[in-house]
Order: sequence, then C-alpha cells, then structure tokens
Amino acid sequence: MDLSSFAGPFLPEILLLAGTLLVFLFDVLGVRTTERVGAVAVGATALALLFVVADLGFAPLTFLRTIPAGQLDAAASGTPLYAFTSLGLVFQAIFLLATLLVSLASLSRPSRDRGAPIFFGLLQLAALGMLLVALASDLIFLLLAIEVTSIATYLLVAYTRHDSRSLEAAMKMYIIGALSTTLSFFGASLLYGAYQTTSLLAIARDGGAAGFPVLVLLGYGFLIVGLAFKATLVPFHAWAVDAYDGAPTDVTAFLAGGSKKVGLFAFFLIFLAPILFVRAAAPGGSPFTSGAVALGPVLQITLSVLAVGTMTLGNVLALLQKEMKRMLAYSSISQAGYMLIGIAVGTAPALAGATLQIFAHVFMKTGAFLLVAGVTAWGVGPLIDDWKGLGTRRPFVGVAFALMLLSLAGVPLTVGFVSKFVLFSAAVQAQGYFVWLAVAGLLNSALSVFYYARVLRVMYFEEPAARATPTGAVAGGSEPPVLPAGGLGYGRATAILLAVVLIVAVGVYPQPVLGAIQAAATHFVNLGA
Amino acid sequence: MTDLALVGFVTLSAALLAIGLFGILTRRNFILLLIAIEIAMNAAILNFVYFAAYAGGTAGLTGQAIAVVLVGFAATEVAVGLAIVLALNRLKGTINVAQATELKL
Repeated sequence: MDLSSFAGPFLPEILLLAGTLLVFLFDVLGVRTTERVGAVAVGATALALLFVVADLGFAPLTFLRTIPAGQLDAAASGTPLYAFTSLGLVFQAIFLLATLLVSLASLSRPSRDRGAPIFFGLLQLAALGMLLVALASDLIFLLLAIEVTSIATYLLVAYTRHDSRSLEAAMKMYIIGALSTTLSFFGASLLYGAYQTTSLLAIARDGGAAGFPVLVLLGYGFLIVGLAFKATLVPFHAWAVDAYDGAPTDVTAFLAGGSKKVGLFAFFLIFLAPILFVRAAAPGGSPFTSGAVALGPVLQITLSVLAVGTMTLGNVLALLQKEMKRMLAYSSISQAGYMLIGIAVGTAPALAGATLQIFAHVFMKTGAFLLVAGVTAWGVGPLIDDWKGLGTRRPFVGVAFALMLLSLAGVPLTVGFVSKFVLFSAAVQAQGYFVWLAVAGLLNSALSVFYYARVLRVMYFEEPAARATPTGAVAGGSEPPVLPAGGLGYGRATAILLAVVLIVAVGVYPQPVLGAIQAAATHFVNLGA
Repeated sequence: MTDLALVGFVTLSAALLAIGLFGILTRRNFILLLIAIEIAMNAAILNFVYFAAYAGGTAGLTGQAIAVVLVGFAATEVAVGLAIVLALNRLKGTINVAQATELKL
C-alpha cells in the first residue's frame, strides 16, 4: 500500500493538523494578528469541510472524493481501529461546520487580541479530535480521540489566562472532565476483560459473547456515566452551566455546538451494537444476554430515563434563569435530552432524527452564542433584561436571534421543527414505551417556548430602562444605553448569516440534507447485521 | 492466571478506583485532586494489565499496548491540569478549589 492511497481518506484530518501546526509556527515567527492566524484556521476548516461533503457524494463535488468507493460503509473484517461510514462523515461535516462558524466569527475580534494563535490553534486541534471520533470503530481509539478534543477544550476555556472567571470555569471543567475520562476508561477496561477485544465491530459481530457477564453490565454502566458527563446529561450536567457561563463566549459556542456532540456520537457508537443485536435476535434467544438480564432492553430503559430527565430538568432550570448565557446553557442541556431519544429508540429513522437534531443544534446554539458574544462586546450586560429593545434598535441582530430561538423552540419552517418532527415520529413508530418518549419530548418543547418567548418579548416589546445619571437620579425621558456605532464585524456577521440561512433553508426544503442523513443512518444500522 | 487470582486483582483495582473517587469528592486542594484523579486512572490501567495477562496471546498484547498508551495519556492530562493550577495560582494566589466561587453553582 503506497502512502497516498493510505493517507488520501485522511485528508480532512491532515489539513486540520497542518493548520494547527502552521498557526503555532506563525506564533513563533511573531505573526500574531487575529486576521492572519484566523485566515489559516478558516481556510483549513473550510477545505476539510469541502472534502468531507465530497465524500458524502453530493453531486457537483464527487470529483474531489478521497475515500475509494468500496471503502465507505464496507462490511469490515478483522478488528480495524477506524472505519469510514457515511454517518461518521455526516458527523464530521457537523463538527467542521461548528468549527467553521466559530472561527469565522472569531475573525471579528480585535486584531491585537492576545492569544489569538493559541485560540485558533487549539480550536483546530479540538476539531481534529472530533473528526477522529467520527471515524472510530475501536473503544480505546474512540476514548483517546475524545480526549484530544477534551484536553484542547480545557485549554481553550482558560486561554486568556487573565480572566479569573474563565480560569475557574476551566478548573471545574477539568476536574469533571478528568473524572469522567477515568470512569470511561475503567468501563472500557471491564469490557476488554469480558470480551478480550476493544473493537466495537468485533463486539457487534460476535453478538457480544462475553466471558464474564457481570463485567459487561458494569462496564457499560461506567461508560454511560463517563460519557453522560461529556454529553451533559442530567444528573451529570452541573459543570456545564458554569463552564459555559465562565468561558469566553466564542469558546462557549464551540463547547455547546461542537464538542458536546462528541459525547453524543460516542453514545451512537458504543450503545447501538447491543441495542440493535437484541432486536435482530428477538425471536430466538438474544445473543446479547448477560446472565439473566438481556443487555439491550436494560440500556434502552436507562437511556430513556436519562433522556426524559435531561430534557425536563434542563427546561425547568432554563425557565428560572435571568442571565442570557446560563439560559442558553440550560437549553443546550435539554436539547441533549431530545438527541438521546434517538439512541434509546435505536431504529434507523430515530437515528436520522437525532442526527438531524444535532445538525440543527449547531446552527441554532452555536449561532446564538456567537451572536451573544457580539452583542456583549457592544457593552450589553449579561442579563436577559439588558437586551430590552435590542430587536428594534438592531434589526439584523434581532431577526437573526429571533429565528434561532424560534428554531430551538421547534416552530414550523425552521430546521428545529423538521428535526423534532422526524425524531418524535420515529419514536412513535417504534411503539412500546417509546411513544411516551415522544410525548415527553412534545410536552418539553411546549414548555421551552415560554423561555424563548420571554426573550423575544424583552427584545421587541419592552422599552430600555431609563439610564441612571451619575448622581443616582433617573434622567428625564427614557434614554437607552448607548450602543457603539460599529456592527458585529464582517466575520461574525457572515457566520451568523450563514447559520440563519441554513436554519431557514433546511427548514423550508429539508429533502437533500434529510435524505443524506437517512441514507447514512440506514447504512449505519445495517453495519452490525 | 487463575480465575480466583483475577477476581482478587480486579477487587484491588476497584478499591483503587474507590480511593480515587473518594479523594476527588473530598479534597479541596487542586494538587491533591490531581493525585486522586491519577489514583483512579491507575485503577483502569491496572485492569488492562490483569486482563491482558488473563487473556494471553494476541488479545493479551492489545491490553498491554493499551496500558502503555494510557500511562502516556495520563501524564498529558496531568500536565494540562498543572498548567491550569499555575495560571490560577498566579492570578488568585490560591489553589483551593473551595475558594473558586465566582460562578454560582
């Protein structure tokens, strides 16, 4: 095998690695302006995204394919560390889109911003880890790839080094992250003991004939807890709100829109095999039994409980928040609950729904945090009430933010509606107690409308409070706080515009994206069979 | 390795994990927290070593390789943790986790 045919399929990963090294090289050479290092990051990410989309087979780009046709979704033999699946490619595209939005928006930060090379370098490094996660077909490869992302994100949160709030957020995130990593690896070690292999493909193929059934249950249990921290599922969510709140807001956008999805995709990879095998073997004895307990149903019930708990508590706590970033953080937690429904149900349509929900969440939540970062830079305070009247005074920002929130709430003609519709109808089709998952999801969507609508009301229908004069007396009339003349900056405006266009475009005409995701999910489900 | 010996070894690593988790939950000094995290991490690494010895053959080699990689990984993680401690200490003059209260929990 010559080098180019081996390295070819890894072109997106190689591009990001080259981008990372180039940015750090720039730093050493003294080229540190935001525009220059940012351009490298945007370029590398955009190119990588182009190749991933080409590999997915979108017609005008097929000449750029780097993965040979036979290698995609191939029934793998042996115990490879990685496999090219179309669902993995879809997730690579999602991760790269999130990275692209964040790096585009960060171009608008002050040119002399200290630490710009560190920020863009680590951002690409984290994206590299995410791409590797999407390729993994081995438990240890998967966990180590997650760690590449995690370690880069701990440093991203703390990169300013002079903001005590960011450092505190990084510290909390680090402690919880290290704890969850330890639990995940402990679970993986138990599974290795039971199966004598760490290959997820091998485990799926053999139907999980385990030497020690107890180790299997314990191993999957530790993995659920470890990965639930990463995916911010209730009751393992508390760190996330503090980390999202304290981190620089552009980094928060990346955490909520990008790196959190890594944990969810790990759920796809690890827990689908046992769930699917139980279904395939339903008439006869299930091969995935562990002692007296069939593993698949136990996992499905556990994930269902986690899903309902996550979306309910996330929504209720979001309702109580007064600060914009914390409200969005809790809303992000509740969205993770919706996504988990797809894995608990475990059918191809449900997986497609969850994937589309994750896809949608990138534009809605990353876009929203990027917008908040821009508005905060104008001097608007952290409270939701500080946004009074912003919708009428800054129409572009108002409309964009309103569309993102409406999409998060699941209003028709936005991508948030399409994804929830696909997801909940798949849960209903699956029958059994999954119908109740759909009901819980619908009730939660209705609940979430309250706190999104409150923001809209504040933005459009409330007048800014009268500004207090230095003497403490209220100035006559209602003089609003002064907004600076400048806009969001070209980079940030482009990123937000891109997010809004995709929210509406996919919402109105979902077929191309939805079709690709559904095909990928079907391939993925058939891999183990 | 006999089954009985394996059970004994796995019990040992379970105890290590418990000690590590207890430390993570009770310690307030960041350095001690890092040590507790390391103890818990070593429980997982030791597990890979036992199971590798139990499996033998090619399957065993996988476990040994993983154990070595994880030792390297654990060192990386601690390096990042220490970097955060240093920055925190420079800024606030304390490495006590309990005094980090600017973000409400």
